[in-house]
Amino acid sequence: MTQHRDHTPGNCFHCGLPIPPEADYRARLDGAERRFCCFGCQSVCSAIFEAGLQGYYQRTPEGTLLGPPPEPPRDIEIYDLDEVQQEFVTCSGDVRDIHLLVEGIHCAACVWLIERGLQRVPGVQSANVNLAAKRLHLRWDNRRARLSDVIRALARIGYAAVPYDPESAEGVIKKANRAMLYRLFFAGFAMMNMLWISIALYSGASRDEFRDFFHWAGLVLATPTLLYAGYPFYRGAFGGLRGGQLTMDLPIAIGLSVTYAYSAYITVTAARIGEVYFDTVTNLIFVILIGRYLEGMFRHQAVSATRRLLELQPRAAIVVRDGEEQMTPIRGVKPGDHVLIKPGYKVPVDGIVLEGHSAVDESMLSGESTPVSKSVGAKVSAGTVNTNGALLVEVRTLLQETTLAKIIRLVEEAQSSKAPIQRLADTIVPWFVLVTLVCATLTFLIWNGKDFGIALMAATSVLIITCPCALGMATPMSIAVASGLGAKHGILIKNGLVLETLSKVTHFVFDKTGTLTEGRMSVAQMHVAPGVAKEDILRNAAAVERYSEHSVAKAIVAEADKQQLNYRDIGASRFHATAGLGVDASVDGKTVLLGSAEWLVRRGIALNAELQAQAHELEAQAMSCVHVAMGDVHLAVFALADRLRGDARQLIGELRAAGIAMTLLSGDRRPVAEAIARQLGGMEVIAEVLPQDKDQMIRQLQRHGAVVAMVGDGINDAPALIRADVGIALGSGTDVSVESADIVLMHNELDKVRQATLLSRRTLRTIKQNIGLSFVYNAIMVPLAMMALVTPLVAAITMPLSSLAVIGNAARIRTLFKKQ
Amino acid sequence: MDVIYSLIPGMMFFGLIFLVVLIWAVKKGQYEDMEGSANRILLDDDDDMVHQPEGKQNSEPDKSS
Repeated sequence: MTQHRDHTPGNCFHCGLPIPPEADYRARLDGAERRFCCFGCQSVCSAIFEAGLQGYYQRTPEGTLLGPPPEPPRDIEIYDLDEVQQEFVTCSGDVRDIHLLVEGIHCAACVWLIERGLQRVPGVQSANVNLAAKRLHLRWDNRRARLSDVIRALARIGYAAVPYDPESAEGVIKKANRAMLYRLFFAGFAMMNMLWISIALYSGASRDEFRDFFHWAGLVLATPTLLYAGYPFYRGAFGGLRGGQLTMDLPIAIGLSVTYAYSAYITVTAARIGEVYFDTVTNLIFVILIGRYLEGMFRHQAVSATRRLLELQPRAAIVVRDGEEQMTPIRGVKPGDHVLIKPGYKVPVDGIVLEGHSAVDESMLSGESTPVSKSVGAKVSAGTVNTNGALLVEVRTLLQETTLAKIIRLVEEAQSSKAPIQRLADTIVPWFVLVTLVCATLTFLIWNGKDFGIALMAATSVLIITCPCALGMATPMSIAVASGLGAKHGILIKNGLVLETLSKVTHFVFDKTGTLTEGRMSVAQMHVAPGVAKEDILRNAAAVERYSEHSVAKAIVAEADKQQLNYRDIGASRFHATAGLGVDASVDGKTVLLGSAEWLVRRGIALNAELQAQAHELEAQAMSCVHVAMGDVHLAVFALADRLRGDARQLIGELRAAGIAMTLLSGDRRPVAEAIARQLGGMEVIAEVLPQDKDQMIRQLQRHGAVVAMVGDGINDAPALIRADVGIALGSGTDVSVESADIVLMHNELDKVRQATLLSRRTLRTIKQNIGLSFVYNAIMVPLAMMALVTPLVAAITMPLSSLAVIGNAARIRTLFKKQ
Repeated sequence: MDVIYSLIPGMMFFGLIFLVVLIWAVKKGQYEDMEGSANRILLDDDDDMVHQPEGKQNSEPDKSS
């Protein structure tokens, strides 16, 4: 029954990506031999077949690339502790409810696979996947299954899941948007019903017996609309007044109140002259609420960055007391305790290594992806990941005092102290409001000499007609259209307001590793002793290094693959890695050593003077060198470096040509950062910085009047991304950096920075045009209103027209990238 | 034309009902996941009932954990 959807032989059976030539992963499934691109795909696919869920592959829509399964989370046992679960679980009895954030969901077939797959886990009562939000709502019986079992079952079929609390994660903003949506619904309902009444009145009912009835019907509809749907305007207007500011809400509130009061007066007194404007009240509320709702949707969800960081906070640690290991919630750990950190686990505390030897991935703090070797006496930081050996650590600081907590505080501080974005519309509004109020007063005073009734009506119609809709919609509509266009081109605009700012940026700050460079090592150069074949060395080196997980080893194996050398048939035995120094193995009876110069010397090998000199020269260029010795002879040197991204040079060139200042910020050593800057044609370099320095550095630039854009990808960049006027993150970056940024480049193409700038310029232009449009409209209508020539019918026709003109103009942004 | 005295309140009443239904649906999360539920109905476990030309058995091993 298993016909794989559109399966091409050269591609991985599970994820559909091309199989790299060096990969050799096969499995016999349902009587057919299948090939895979990686071990992850192979094991996931086998697990799916074993569970009899192979129908998954039939259900996957044709042409869907699943992508390799995400790395399964490793330290999941901690979620079994009641203390840890408390934060997420709604009921802590035996049957519990939890929301899990699931990574790896692509299509509807995944929903089927997860729900069917979990049904077979004993103890799981219900599993409900939300495809749009990539979430799983799980109910399970804690007596029969542990949470870690469920997460592990998910990992087996290719999904990584972590618990999260939807309430605190998105609660406040979501609730505010919801409330706005209900108001919008109500205003829409009232507006639609009001239309019929208005049409009846305009077509003659205002002169016959039903006139009063229609007026009363209008009053019934308009009253709750004004009180409920119009409430945000009154709140805004009073808030602004109390703060001594003239906000857009003020003329809206005044206009609405006056219009409503005037119409209500006509209705109640059943006056024979005068018209009601109830339709204007409801239309105005409806249209402006649309603008407000759009604005609320793309307002920055600043809270989430801190949430993500908090999720990185370890929740439990294995404490060793009297030789006994015990999983303890982090609050129960005290400074001075001894904590065991197994390979693959997160370091739960800041402390000093007492025993053991391992490489620790500190990318969170430094942005460097290469793990740092740690041995006895070294300092480890909470939130970093222990990669290969077990470590026994003495706790120094906990929770609030750790380096991770300091980053969280920095992020919070940057969020709270960042100046609000000054929008173009905001600078105009106070003047607009002032002029409107003056015009209305003048109109009243001038007409009052002749007739009080006309004076009241004319002044009211000035307030009604100075249509704030077009002005209110100018920015949100343009940004909404621009965000949609950006998303289509791989530029995810999370905070629409920065679109106005981006075109004014005077200073770009770049992170080095992972942003300008690819963030991983590759072999840049290779030097061999005279009379030795390069291929030979590389083949043997790769044969040994393929057993190692170190980033240097991966670079050497990748280089061998690139040159299409066959090293798999070479048998390497007695492989042994010495952390921080190098590896050794036996190939064809000869010992092969790879590692630092010190490693070779320690093993009693005389260094080749020429190679040694070359190595010194390469190291001066900030490359790391790996020496190779075979059969006790020093034969070659590999130089490894982090390569520039393909489009980095072009982007930097263009920015320089545009006269924009640039700075390279890096946590890496100075020579390395300078070498990269040199390759890019030179720019200011600030190296060896800590996360707080990055934040500080941007603040300094801003103090000197620069408008700063920061491009980065790491957790350590998060405070700087928030601090900068525009924060741009790469899609491949950490969750935290993506959450902190205003703009995310989905495909890691730096060229998109340029496109985003173009988009921003276009958006700003459209906003200006829209504001211009609304002024033209007002310039025509306000004099008419002051002359008391505006009737309800004129108002009802012209006001939507001005809004439509603004919306239509904003829609033109979509043509931006078509010309290219 | 007196019917209009009952028609207009009637119109508003029905409009209100739709409004209440809409708000209820949003509150209940009906719009949270537009794609998932649409597809879920198509992805039923009906393999046993479908005629299988290869005549393969589809005994689903009850394997888990």
